[in-house]
Amino acid sequence: MLLKLSWRNIWRNKRRSLVVLGSVIVGIIAVLFMNGFMNGMLNQMLSNQISTSVSHIQIHKKGFNDNKTVQNYLPNPANVDNILRDNKDIKAFSKRVITFGLISSASNSSGVYINGIVPEEEKQVSIINRQIVEGEYFSGGKGEIVIGSKLAEKLDVTLGDKVVAMSNTPSGTIGSEVFRVVGIFKTFSSEFDKSFIYIPMQTVQEMLNIDDKIYEFAIVTKDYHKVEEVKNSINEELNQNYEVLSYKDLLPFLVYQIDLSKESMWIFNVIIELALIFGIINAMLMAVFERINEIGVLMSIGMKNIKIFTMILLEGLIIGIIGTAVGLGLGYLIMLPLQKVGLNLAIYTESLESFGVGAVIYPTVSIDDVIGILIAIPFISIVGAIYPAYKAIKLDPVYAIRYV
Amino acid sequence: MEILKTENLEKVYEDNGVPVHALKGINLTINKGDYLVIAGPSGSGKTTLLNLLGALDTPTKGKILFEGTDLAKKSRRELSEFRLQNLGFIFQAYNLIPVLTAIENIEFSMMLSGIPENERRERALSLMHELDIKELADKRPNEMSGGQQQRVAVARAIVNDPEVVLADEPTANLDSATGSVLLDLMEKMNKEKNITFIFSSHDKQVIDRAGILLKLKDGKIEK
Ligand SMILES: Nc1ncnc2c1ncn2[C@@H]1O[C@H](COP(=O)(O)OP(=O)(O)OP(=O)(O)O)[C@@H](O)[C@H]1O
Ligand SMILES: [Mg+2]
Repeated sequence: MLLKLSWRNIWRNKRRSLVVLGSVIVGIIAVLFMNGFMNGMLNQMLSNQISTSVSHIQIHKKGFNDNKTVQNYLPNPANVDNILRDNKDIKAFSKRVITFGLISSASNSSGVYINGIVPEEEKQVSIINRQIVEGEYFSGGKGEIVIGSKLAEKLDVTLGDKVVAMSNTPSGTIGSEVFRVVGIFKTFSSEFDKSFIYIPMQTVQEMLNIDDKIYEFAIVTKDYHKVEEVKNSINEELNQNYEVLSYKDLLPFLVYQIDLSKESMWIFNVIIELALIFGIINAMLMAVFERINEIGVLMSIGMKNIKIFTMILLEGLIIGIIGTAVGLGLGYLIMLPLQKVGLNLAIYTESLESFGVGAVIYPTVSIDDVIGILIAIPFISIVGAIYPAYKAIKLDPVYAIRYV
Repeated sequence: MEILKTENLEKVYEDNGVPVHALKGINLTINKGDYLVIAGPSGSGKTTLLNLLGALDTPTKGKILFEGTDLAKKSRRELSEFRLQNLGFIFQAYNLIPVLTAIENIEFSMMLSGIPENERRERALSLMHELDIKELADKRPNEMSGGQQQRVAVARAIVNDPEVVLADEPTANLDSATGSVLLDLMEKMNKEKNITFIFSSHDKQVIDRAGILLKLKDGKIEK
């Protein structure tokens, strides 16, 4: 009966209750959307990095990641190759020769990461082959080079133009080679497009005069969630001369940024929740002040304070529960298509690409967010009702009955 | 049998720092089954006295004894329970809970004292039958006339079988015909169930039908 009473009390001032409900619902949708958008963006930043070059796990000679010199080539790559081939959790891996160098055209030059790759292997590990916007991804001819669109712009070259790549060799001399641009790629990151170039591995090895030495294995695991496990199992089979690094080790800044963003989302959520609390306090206070006389009657006929208190908390809770249900439902309906189709932010493409995210963001709603809302909002509604309920039971019955 | 007794009851209000002596030493004994009307001009202290007898307010001086126990010894929570079990209230207006129907209003005080749902319904229905207000059962207060609301309020006040029903000017907002119906009802309950009624009123009709008339003036009982 208390529940019935609370329920009906909520609807006696429909407009006010609907306004409060509306703000709860909008708050929930805002939280879902902001969190979803942030999650989507950060996940995309991470997965873009992983899919364009970082992969899940990399193996180098110990120290290479901190000091990428040509001297730091991988010892005994054939052995590593065998170990990786035998690992059932690995989906694919590729060998890479990586070095810093300079690329020049007739009009300009630029410092770049030279990536010597085995085109067929690299296809399994990164998506460069799918990002080609002009030309093609290696046809097997001699002197082929694939560069990013930003770099092409800077060097003022197009397909078929000649460029010269240069790099230090382990022996201290300078190796250089002339290439012909056969493909231009465009990824989600303008920075990447400016600084990564791809050349068949053998050509780079010849240019650097390093026989068949390589610098890196890039690995993609079958299950994204098992990366650390696979990393550890590989690590166990390799000795101290190697470093096995997961994308978390390789992208510490991004991982940190993701953590940081989660923190800042937390603050955003708290701000919304505080606003909701004040909205509920305000509405419930009004509801109490409107009913002073009635509360006086309830007190006179012997309703105990605890019951009056509970009645008002229940009113808050009911609003919270309805708001949560409707908010999550509506939020889901809004987020579902966005999650599939994505949110096209083409006008911000420029700045998003400098962050390494594409123009289309796919917001993702995490179960954590939903659980958080399921707990937080009803809780908040009760908290918001505490002060008004306290006000109600502090009323003097004599004063309350007289009150009109 | 003596049910309510006051000893030198005094009540002083504070009105912007000025003390207002609303009651100046009331000595009163009320017996079980009395039908008592407290009459007096406006400001004479009727409401103040009823609030004190109803354990809604505390006296500045003096004692109120209910069946021999001093109400001042009870906590706020105990007083609430005391009112629930022993007293019924009828106010001048706005008695009923607006979101509850007539029958729910009547059931409400039974719910507060923990009477199970089906018994509540049964008792409320039979009382409404007795008071001839059965047809109001599913009406909300705003769908009832003032007289109908007051009759439902009477039903709510007596359904828990209280010892005493306190009514502060219950007919003040009613025309005399409607007021008379209400008085019939209360008289009937007083006779049939031996419930003690204490009214305040300056309505001639009420005063004429008083079992015992108590005249208040300036916070004192007029002899
Ligand atoms: N809360 C209060 N604060 C200050 N003075 C009060 C308060 N309540 C009542 N009084 C004063 O106490 C006196 C008695 O008031 P009370 O309401 O008991 O009179 P009453 O006989 O019920 O009058 P009425 O017939 O107008 O209802 C009046 O002078 C009134 O102004
Ligand atoms: Mg009065």
